[in-house]
Amino acid sequence: MANQTLAHSFRESPILRPSGLIVLAILTATVVILTATGSRITLSLLAQATIISIMALSVGFLARTADLISFGHAAPFGLGAYGTALVFQHGIPAEVGIWLVLVAVFALFFVIGLVVGKLNGIAFSMLTLALGQFFFVAVSKLRAITAGADGMTVSLPRSLFGLPSRTFQTPDGMFIIAAVILAALVILIYLFEASRTGRLAIGVRENEERVLFLGYRTKILKAAVFATSATIAGVSGVLFALYQGFVSPEIMHWSFSGNALIMAILGGSLAVWGPVAGALVFFFLREWLSDLTEHWLAVLGVILITVTVAWPGGMTGLAKAMRTRISGRERNGGGK
Amino acid sequence: MIINALNGLVYGSLLFILASGLVLVYGLRRVVNFAHGAFYMLGAYIGYSVAIHAGFIPGIIAAAAVLIAVGVALDLVVFRKLADRDPLVTVLVTFGVLLVLEDFVRTVWGTGNYAIDPPALLSGVVQIAGAPFPIYRLFIVFASALMAGGMVIWLRYSRSGLWVRAASHSPVVAAMCGVRTNVLGPLVVGLGAAFAGIAGIVAAPFLSLNPSMGAEILVMSFVVSVVGGLGSFGGAFISAMILGQIQAFGVVYLPEIAALLPFLLMALVLVVRPQGILGNKV
Repeated sequence: MANQTLAHSFRESPILRPSGLIVLAILTATVVILTATGSRITLSLLAQATIISIMALSVGFLARTADLISFGHAAPFGLGAYGTALVFQHGIPAEVGIWLVLVAVFALFFVIGLVVGKLNGIAFSMLTLALGQFFFVAVSKLRAITAGADGMTVSLPRSLFGLPSRTFQTPDGMFIIAAVILAALVILIYLFEASRTGRLAIGVRENEERVLFLGYRTKILKAAVFATSATIAGVSGVLFALYQGFVSPEIMHWSFSGNALIMAILGGSLAVWGPVAGALVFFFLREWLSDLTEHWLAVLGVILITVTVAWPGGMTGLAKAMRTRISGRERNGGGK
Repeated sequence: MIINALNGLVYGSLLFILASGLVLVYGLRRVVNFAHGAFYMLGAYIGYSVAIHAGFIPGIIAAAAVLIAVGVALDLVVFRKLADRDPLVTVLVTFGVLLVLEDFVRTVWGTGNYAIDPPALLSGVVQIAGAPFPIYRLFIVFASALMAGGMVIWLRYSRSGLWVRAASHSPVVAAMCGVRTNVLGPLVVGLGAAFAGIAGIVAAPFLSLNPSMGAEILVMSFVVSVVGGLGSFGGAFISAMILGQIQAFGVVYLPEIAALLPFLLMALVLVVRPQGILGNKV
């Protein structure tokens, strides 16, 4: 019975439908065309935007799966980045070290998740802000390990994961690598949501007490979702460190957590890809607006207010409304 | 030793005034204002600009007046309109307000540091236990105690205070008994904002003014309210006093990790009592 529902849910998962494969093919073609034709500046921007959209994906994943809004995801991002820098500084083989960094981020945030998972929405948001600030201060103050405000240079060895390490630091190379990882993560999240555990996580989001009464350990599940989300942010941080070749405490500042959150909200949480779209729009909007006005921060605030109040579904809500209008019926997209 | 404890008291009372603004609003509206730190910063800058031209007292009055207006507007435009939505929507909107206010402060006053001298009457030092201590810091404690005392008397002994307490206890039951939350809203949120603004200008001669002061104090006041228990004045008082002392003694005895100690305390309290020191079970 359970297997039957599992197989059924996998078939239901949009990524495995023909339309999902078509979308994937179109995206692959877009990446290839952009890499071949884009100017160096465009590609550099795309590489950064893709890395940061993985970060937005992690914030959106938590919002979508657990209905928790994190104001502190710069912490796992920064830990991923700093972890990478430390791996290279101490000459640990990257093929092992980077995995260790991600496992460490998962373990750390699993433990944190066990504690903060007890709190309701608002208290959780306040705490993640404080938590983010804790790691920011820690990285700034622990000069012996992190060199404090000076930051650390990430010195790559000659080759990495079988690729020449130059690939990771050129715009076109990193754009393709980040896009592949991003696509893999999106597919994994789709599969997770269609799986039994994913459904259970949605159940916890809707009514934790009821799932608890059914005999599931909701606390552990919640902490695991939190830790998974943090680890995705960690992946983004690792890529960031590899590409930029430099990390400093600024990447852990609360304003970066806030930016990631705004990207996720701009994209909306009605679909897994929402935050990714939000991040791309955010990035190019910022690029375009910073030429026009210095008041980027205020513009950001106004966008955030407008989207949350007037347009709660974000871009995914818009896509859904259009699809409903075209097909004339509401399609059940799973999740929210 | 005594000087350290006094410094802790000064910082603790500032934190309490800020946290009590958050608690007051949370009680009535069940939301947390992420722009509270920006209100503090705005109060400091406005107070500073008025104080250098017209004197310190007008500075305090100007900060309070502007922040009351901002708070009333926030309640009318944001909290009341979004009362039926998920509280997280309101929280996100206040985060947007925070970004707009930060940009405003950076635009008007720039990103440099400002310092302001205490008024002549309150400058100078007194000898306490054989060591000099600035009079102005004692004034901060006195001003905070005055504000906290005034608020407690209002909440305990006035009709509107009774309504606020009733609405904090149970918004639905209070509403059924005829308490009009929407009338109390502008009063409470305006008062909370004014507390933040006054704290900003009162703290200005003690701490310096820069565009990141709002975020720093916001994080600390969140730590205070979470440790104390969301919505609890008593809890906020206890945790503000403890955090003040931790800060003061930490800087002297554990300078490397002083900035991390408040967060460690927060982690400890949350493991033992997730609802905070005096919080109700959530």
